[in-house]
Amino acid sequence: MTLDRARWDKGITYEAFKAAMTRNQERFAENESRVALDPETVRTFKSQPKPLRILALAEDWCGDVVANLPILGRLAKEVPTLDVRIFLRDQNLDLMERWLNQGKYQSIPVFVFFDENFRELGHWIERPASVTERRAAERKKIFAAHPEFGSPDAPVDQLPEDVRTRLQAELQKMREGMVSFANAEVQRELRELVNKVAV
Amino acid sequence: MSGKPVKVKITYCAECGYEPQTLDLTKALMYEFGTKLSAIEIIPWESGTFDVSVDGEIVHSMKRHGGFPELATVKSAVRSRLASPRGV
Repeated sequence: MTLDRARWDKGITYEAFKAAMTRNQERFAENESRVALDPETVRTFKSQPKPLRILALAEDWCGDVVANLPILGRLAKEVPTLDVRIFLRDQNLDLMERWLNQGKYQSIPVFVFFDENFRELGHWIERPASVTERRAAERKKIFAAHPEFGSPDAPVDQLPEDVRTRLQAELQKMREGMVSFANAEVQRELRELVNKVAV
Repeated sequence: MSGKPVKVKITYCAECGYEPQTLDLTKALMYEFGTKLSAIEIIPWESGTFDVSVDGEIVHSMKRHGGFPELATVKSAVRSRLASPRGV
């Protein structure tokens, strides 16, 4: 299946996606407001000789979409030559099948870069590996510092509710503390991708 | 099957869109077992979790077993627990 103009036009704009969100709207807006665009990111995208189309597969319930799509949205606001269209994953499984994570997982968000003639230039999936790795390391530290949380691999339903609530708060704090790093890493990977496939 | 009611816990990833599977399973257990269940606890979690335990014993873990549980597997675990001799 190729992507053509007719299919592209079925995607919705970033603003339309935000308006249609049925959940996580506040979190999404908060994430968008605290995206610090690296001038290098803006420069890299602005210096592309031709406009880019970016197809994004997303759903409003997905934590990685809520974290990372706002970065693309903010970038597209700064760079008028970027045309972003969003396709809901669950209504566009044929598109999802084309960009599976490791060839098997329907991870989102997916950002697919095309030239003006819908020639695919590259794609980006879910979140940077560096973010996943750092999260795992920080998670280990939390469990090491709190023996009451038990083993990181044990089912959480076996923890008493008050302990589980504390664990959840610690994990949330850890994620919050990593937002700047994660946003910078997403931008670094998007810059690298675009530099590699420069049209 | 006249044993002491059992408790089912469903832990699901709230960032992964697993609500429909959680609710389907909850509904199926409610209809099937009614007051034979002491409670169904639904725990919103993260990290791609979908775990089901019956009276504290894990009967399905997405990380260990992959995917969502077969409804028959969970029902069978509840039936076994109800039929097992336990302290009153």
